[in-house]
Amino acid sequence: MRKLSLTAAILATTAVAGPSLADGHLQIVDKPLELMIQMNHRAYPVYEEDWPVEQKARELTNIHLKDVTVGANMRTDSENTGRTEALNLMLASGNVPDIVGSSRIRDFVNQFGPEGAFIPLNDLIDEHAPNIKAYYDQRPDIAAAVKAADGQMYYIPYLPDGKYGRAFWIRTDWLKNLGLEVPQTVDEFETVLRAFKTQDPNGNGEADEVPLFFRQWPELIRMVTLWDGRAHGSDTYHDFLVDDGKISHGYIGEGYREGIKNLARWYAEGLIDAEVFTRGSSARDFLFSENLGGATHDWFASTGGYNRLSSDIEGFELKAMAPPASISGKRVEEHRRILVKPDGWAIGYTNEHPVETIKYFDFWFTEEGRRLANFGVEGMHYDLVDGKPIFKQEFLDAGPVNRSLYQNGAQLQGRGYFQDYNYEIQWTNEFALEGIALYDQGDYLIPDFLGVAFDADEQKIYDKHWGSVRDYMLERQQAWILGSGDVEAEWDDYLAQLNDLGLQEVLTVMQSAYERQYN
Amino acid sequence: MADQTSSSGAIAKPKSTATDNSRWAQTVDHFKREWQLYVMLAPTIIWFIVFLYKPMYGLQIAFKDYSIFRGVAASPWVGFEHFETLFSNDQFIRAVMNTIKISALNLLFGFPAPIILALMFNEILHATYKKTAQTIVYLPHFISSVIISGIVITAFSPTAGIVNTVIGWFGFDPVYFLTQPEWFRPIFVGTGIWQEAGFGSIVFLAAIAGVNPSLYESAVVDGANRWQMMWKITIPSILPTILIMLIIRIGNIMEVSWELVILLYQPATYETADVVNTWVYRQGLQSGQYDLAAAAGLFNAVVAFVLVMTANSLSRRFSRTSLW
Amino acid sequence: MAGVELEGIVKAYGALQVVHGIDLNVAEKEFVVLVGPSGCGKSTTLRMIAGLEEITDGTLTIDGRMMNRVAPKDRDVAMVFQNYALYPHLNVADNMAFGLRIRKMPKDQIKSTIADVAEILGLTEYLERRPADLSGGQRQRVAMGRAIVRHPKVFLFDEPLSNLDAKLRTQMRAEIKRLHNRLGVTSVYVTHDQVEAMTLADRIVVMNDGAIEQVGTPMELFNNPANTFVAGFLGSPPMNQMRGTLTDTGAVIGDAEIALPGQINGHAGRDVIVGIRPEHVTLLPSEQSSALPIALDLVEPLGSEALLHARHGDTAMVFKAETHGSIDHLSGVDTVHVPAGLVKLFDAETGRALSLGA
Repeated sequence: MRKLSLTAAILATTAVAGPSLADGHLQIVDKPLELMIQMNHRAYPVYEEDWPVEQKARELTNIHLKDVTVGANMRTDSENTGRTEALNLMLASGNVPDIVGSSRIRDFVNQFGPEGAFIPLNDLIDEHAPNIKAYYDQRPDIAAAVKAADGQMYYIPYLPDGKYGRAFWIRTDWLKNLGLEVPQTVDEFETVLRAFKTQDPNGNGEADEVPLFFRQWPELIRMVTLWDGRAHGSDTYHDFLVDDGKISHGYIGEGYREGIKNLARWYAEGLIDAEVFTRGSSARDFLFSENLGGATHDWFASTGGYNRLSSDIEGFELKAMAPPASISGKRVEEHRRILVKPDGWAIGYTNEHPVETIKYFDFWFTEEGRRLANFGVEGMHYDLVDGKPIFKQEFLDAGPVNRSLYQNGAQLQGRGYFQDYNYEIQWTNEFALEGIALYDQGDYLIPDFLGVAFDADEQKIYDKHWGSVRDYMLERQQAWILGSGDVEAEWDDYLAQLNDLGLQEVLTVMQSAYERQYN
Repeated sequence: MADQTSSSGAIAKPKSTATDNSRWAQTVDHFKREWQLYVMLAPTIIWFIVFLYKPMYGLQIAFKDYSIFRGVAASPWVGFEHFETLFSNDQFIRAVMNTIKISALNLLFGFPAPIILALMFNEILHATYKKTAQTIVYLPHFISSVIISGIVITAFSPTAGIVNTVIGWFGFDPVYFLTQPEWFRPIFVGTGIWQEAGFGSIVFLAAIAGVNPSLYESAVVDGANRWQMMWKITIPSILPTILIMLIIRIGNIMEVSWELVILLYQPATYETADVVNTWVYRQGLQSGQYDLAAAAGLFNAVVAFVLVMTANSLSRRFSRTSLW
Repeated sequence: MAGVELEGIVKAYGALQVVHGIDLNVAEKEFVVLVGPSGCGKSTTLRMIAGLEEITDGTLTIDGRMMNRVAPKDRDVAMVFQNYALYPHLNVADNMAFGLRIRKMPKDQIKSTIADVAEILGLTEYLERRPADLSGGQRQRVAMGRAIVRHPKVFLFDEPLSNLDAKLRTQMRAEIKRLHNRLGVTSVYVTHDQVEAMTLADRIVVMNDGAIEQVGTPMELFNNPANTFVAGFLGSPPMNQMRGTLTDTGAVIGDAEIALPGQINGHAGRDVIVGIRPEHVTLLPSEQSSALPIALDLVEPLGSEALLHARHGDTAMVFKAETHGSIDHLSGVDTVHVPAGLVKLFDAETGRALSLGA
């Protein structure tokens, strides 16, 4: 009975995806096949075999994933150390399971794939994975981005959907209190921040307002875009960027110098949170709920959610604003959802069923598979309404939707899949949606740097110099903003020192890797 | 006796004649009699082999281009390349110097602190008060570094921190301590003292408890006051303990509690805060450069070894106290 | 007049009284030994004299000065401890100089004092050594030296010999006696060893259960113990004590009668404890002796004498007999002879000595 109705549903929705319309067309093997998997991610340290999504996939494909994760590690830090350690531990233990899924897997498989730890996927995709192939045919840039230095793909990535990540947010009720408009330029922004500082918008009689603050201090550096500078080339902080086909770095640009100079001025004047470097991840929670924070640069959905504070704080209204125009009049939002994450899954070298495995990977790129990965199980988590998956109300009410999806095995970023932004819209708050609409009106986003894969020699040079270069950049950066150094006076020495530390060598290997990968 | 002779004879019998009996039978006999001792010895030996000697095999990756996938044996030798990388890196040199400076400050201020604390506890006569005070100063030891760092960051916050509040009373401007390189070491060392001095005093309290009470009585009859008793009896009596602890401490001179450094430092304070282990963490472990990390670790170990040997022989020469 | 006077000295820890009012006069230059079983309060009494324990009640006078509230250092006493209390980190000279330095004695004076005392104690060649490098006897001598250099009014000894082996103990005992004869300093000495007490003391104070049982010269105590406790404490082996009943002519012990002519004085029928010192019996009858049949258990030869462990009825007893070079003749002993004049009688209930003749 159940099987039949399922097939009917599939029949109704496979028009785009499918050549095969036969019964059980998603079945990969006749007899159930078990594959071992290591999966490690911030939200889910192991692969749970009783996730409903896994159960469903098992039913559809006849392939069962068995969890053999070692080094399950929930340690969270910005550099993802816990997961990298888990992968290293797995490799050191000598057993590479059939499938390895993780966040930050790209560098790992690109290093150890060519050494033989993972199966190269190019031919397998060409021959056995029509859906993945179709995607890559449409997005050659992404196909290039996931390749290792030897030209092979070693993992199937998690591909985020939706364009927007972070935005400028401002307390619009404070603007109203002070009779100000939403700032449209960097100068107006400065005026507003100064007004926040000096004119007591929260009305408690004390100059305790924190006009501009950030949960992650590197977001402060992004503000250099207001002076035509660049900070982070991708959603990875301090990343490189591509400037007219040339690899470069934000922290050596003229606009960066100008931006840092002005940010230092803002900081000295108290327009920026005095504790910006140590406030940490609770900054947003604390400063908004204490009615102290004026503006920030943070994620759409979660930041919009703070409007729930209006029940406690009279008039509280927090809205996204378009990026203020820079000194040259450009409006830039540097942060965006990256097109391809370094997360995903790969096939271990001892896997005896690479064809079945790539077919299984391909399953998640079929329409049914993609919906399963995005929305969970039909009838359990969502219903199809007019051919569109709509989450059940009780599922939406059951707590944070993202977490609920993880807990059911959907939206696993250790799985290679193509996200569907629609999964988010249904539960995104109105303030976030309004902000996204605002950002959609302008063309503020700039292209991300998708990263490069080094060969062994390039890797060596990069490893040797980049750490020192980065450390020095950050040391000076913070010193300048804190006022213990002067960016204008030190700039030439700074560039010279970076070159001494090997910046040019790093840029050279980045460039050669970039050209190999994308041209 | 008779029993053992017959049993060892029984074991040896199927093998051979009386001449061969001797050694093998004696060994068997020995183990039969003393097996409890060997069972008791086993855990220590196993621990040493598994956790200390076997890992030494892996030390060779400091001289190899190590790939986790290829394994220790199959990775190619590169000689001293990693050491050259380390010592040609100014930041590594800086990290070594920072490590030594922080450790030296720790030794200078952090080492006497638990001794002073123990001496002070020893002067408290009221039992309940003493116990309460001891418990309170032991507590920070059991708090995780993450919480400690939170407390420190809050206490030294330029806007709401207690330290800046107090500074404000005297009319000074707030200081953003945790971004000022010159403040990192005092704060870090002070935090370490606050966290560990109490717990560290336990060993000295134990040493003080071991001092023969009649030494004090004798001194009382001789007319010594408490101050004189502390200087002339307590401290000299616990001096061997102090020296042993000092030697151990010197052996750990390259081991700054780097988890706390990572939680407290900023790029702005790398200049004074970056120690060998944090540098290795940023450079090596984050990008999977275990070979480089192993080289740095080996360097640390060699430095520590030399220091411990030196401290030990100096101590043996001048005070007849030594670790071995 | 550097005497020590204790008047009604009481020590109590909370509600628990451990010394119940001691009265004792120690004359100048006198050597008084406090002796008693462990826990009898002798050490506590000594420590009260030293000032290491507070005096709960009573008066302590040293050299005519009331000392109850005087700090130990101002009492001008020096104490020698059971475990020597030597500072392990100081050499012999520094150990001896410790008290002098604290009292800020000039350096050259310290030096000469130590040299003199070391000479007396035979420590001159050990002055640079640390306690750990000394033998037990030497350590003991250093401990005494430390007391002597101070030239105190009173020496206090707290079981100073108990950590030494038997041979050394005998040696050091004699040395202490000689020292005292030479220095003539008032001394109070605590021990649980009755031999030490007998040999050293000008007067012995036998203590039991926080109170004084008897005070007197060693021979007084030996010859006329005030009660069964003292009788049983002094002497080696101590006095045999047997339950008996007085008759008109003597004392009946079991089925034997010890004739005590002229000693009963109408107390016939009274229950007593008959005390006979082991060394007072003879194997051959003499004038005024009574035969006491015994069952011999064991003969322990000591050299010139032997101990005879025997029983009369249910009462175990020990006697001493001369060996004359052999114990063969002792194995057949079945009777000992008790001389009437040396028998002690104690009240059966109170244990007090009876002097019925008086």
